[in-house]
Amino acid sequence: MQQYIIRRLILNVFVLFLVATLVFLALRIDPSNVVAQRAAGCTEAETYDECYAVAEAELGLDAPLHEQYVDYMTGLLQGDLGTSWREKTPVLDELKKRIIPSVQLGLMTIIVAIIVAIPVGVMSAIRQDSWIDYGLRTFSIALLGIPVFVLAIFTIMLSTKYGFAQDWLGSHVTYYDFWDPFGWTPAETNPVENMKIMLAPAILAGLGTGAVIMRFLRSQMLEVLRQDYVRTAWSKGLKERVVIVRHTLKNAMIPVLTVIGILLATIVSGNVILENLYGIPGIGFYVTSAIAQAPDFPVVQGTVIVVAVALVFVNIMVDVAYGWLDPRIRYS
Amino acid sequence: MAVDDTAIGPAVTIAAPEHVRPKKAWYHGVLKFIRQKPLGAVGFAMVGILFFMTLGTPTGISQPSLPDAPFGIVMDSPWMARYEAEDTFYDESGRLRIFEEPSGDHWLGTDKNGRDVYARIVEGARRSLWVGIWALIIATAIGTTIGVVSGYFGGMADTTSQRFMDALQAFPPLIALILIVTIQPFTNGPSLTLAAFALGIVGISSVQRIVRGVVLSTKEQQYVEASRVIGATNARTMRYYILPNIMASIIVVFSTGLGVVILAEAALSFIVPDKMPQGASWGQMLADTYPVIAVEPWPGVSAAGAIAIAVLAFNLAGDALRDVLDPRLRS
Repeated sequence: MQQYIIRRLILNVFVLFLVATLVFLALRIDPSNVVAQRAAGCTEAETYDECYAVAEAELGLDAPLHEQYVDYMTGLLQGDLGTSWREKTPVLDELKKRIIPSVQLGLMTIIVAIIVAIPVGVMSAIRQDSWIDYGLRTFSIALLGIPVFVLAIFTIMLSTKYGFAQDWLGSHVTYYDFWDPFGWTPAETNPVENMKIMLAPAILAGLGTGAVIMRFLRSQMLEVLRQDYVRTAWSKGLKERVVIVRHTLKNAMIPVLTVIGILLATIVSGNVILENLYGIPGIGFYVTSAIAQAPDFPVVQGTVIVVAVALVFVNIMVDVAYGWLDPRIRYS
Repeated sequence: MAVDDTAIGPAVTIAAPEHVRPKKAWYHGVLKFIRQKPLGAVGFAMVGILFFMTLGTPTGISQPSLPDAPFGIVMDSPWMARYEAEDTFYDESGRLRIFEEPSGDHWLGTDKNGRDVYARIVEGARRSLWVGIWALIIATAIGTTIGVVSGYFGGMADTTSQRFMDALQAFPPLIALILIVTIQPFTNGPSLTLAAFALGIVGISSVQRIVRGVVLSTKEQQYVEASRVIGATNARTMRYYILPNIMASIIVVFSTGLGVVILAEAALSFIVPDKMPQGASWGQMLADTYPVIAVEPWPGVSAAGAIAIAVLAFNLAGDALRDVLDPRLRS
């Protein structure tokens, strides 16, 4: 077990190194458009070529690639993710601030997903092939098919159009501050205001995620319900609730937890579209606004690395937790 | 003593068996599929309609309509569209007919520039399908190669390539897409080819993971061992013994992937509309009308509906295809 964790850690440090290198190379494979965009606004030089050279020097892209790479890696090892080109703030500080809304949205999404998925999945499995099962399955397929941003747009549209619960369902972002929203309230300042912004996206994303979990839980439940020990439980004369909750659901949940774990790992990167639509200043929002106008290389590098670190460690934790929940799992 | 003929069965004359199962017509298979997978059949029907919508004009007189034909393949304007996507319409007094309600002339109304929304939806369907199919061709080709080689050889090659794939997968996909279409490496200005490449590259790691898993179980089969026994080289074994036997899985990966890629393309066009080539695209239509969607819902709702229907259709069809062709992939 210990050996397994150590091996995983070593492999993952290698993976993180690869991620850092890949994002570095991906950005520098052909940055000419980015430099040209910056050079377009220059005033101090005469010719365009001079402008281009000035812009390249300003961005630090004129040094040979290996020198840039050594600089970048040294910075990374010292925990320095660089300074944003646009806002001139340290990327790490900004990310520390931005991760709070993202993680809040992610956790709320998963809570909604679980609250929806477990009763629905159980109901659908124990009443297999009844009208209730068909109804719930159709519902989940529809939820899987409709992209979450389409759902969000419909919600915002309907609530704006009919003035229905606009505080809670509408977006607080107008078209004009699409890339630069304001008015987000942290939960500790004012929980109600915070919920007014976060609840709608969390429920919408949670429904989509819940549909995935529900389908998986249903098939797992059906499998466990056919097991001998469930038949034994029935023949002992246990109540239905006990058989379902204690004997079936508990065992069916183990594989479902890995799915939840995978989802947990993806929440760190933030939900790019929902954060933009609802004006939540999370990581997804930060990085898209850093890319959208003119790609801000340090921000992109920093975000990708932080997300990758989180992803990798959540994955290890999920794997370890999996073995702890189900002792039949052996690590190799 | 003569050998008793009956002991070794009747003589060589083989009579036609009396109960030959009558050969069924081709449509029995289709009917069986519809009976067993009604939702899948609905999905296939919707996908069929989608492809039908995007077909070119039979007479071939319209001008090329994709703003930047991916990989240089240009088709004529779809004849289901009734109008050109960029046509603008004026009323009798010469005013632009902006944001009209649906009517007999304009089935889904008109947009802010007085263009026919239905024509743009049809045009957008073609664009989504082209980008999606090209992206998946790239992702499947590269992903399959990596998956087969990595799964077949195992050992150090496998471990190394899998770490690279882990690193690729650690990139948040939408962020990677936005990044590629914004930096625009090796191109000047937005292009659909670039978008298809970006979507393809992002898709490689999940394709190769599935393919590798299938190869791992396939290579333990006896026919693979047999091919080694008769002296086939590794390349030959992979090409002629493993690849044909994982073809069903690859088809399933391709068909289930299309829904994902179309959704990703729409999301990408929605979030950075100005970084994608301008033209009729579902995501861009949604981004265009999103600010006014509460007042003028028709263009935005049509585009959103088209995205949802396309994704739903490919999901349903892909799931049914997977259940029929390769139930191993179900989890």
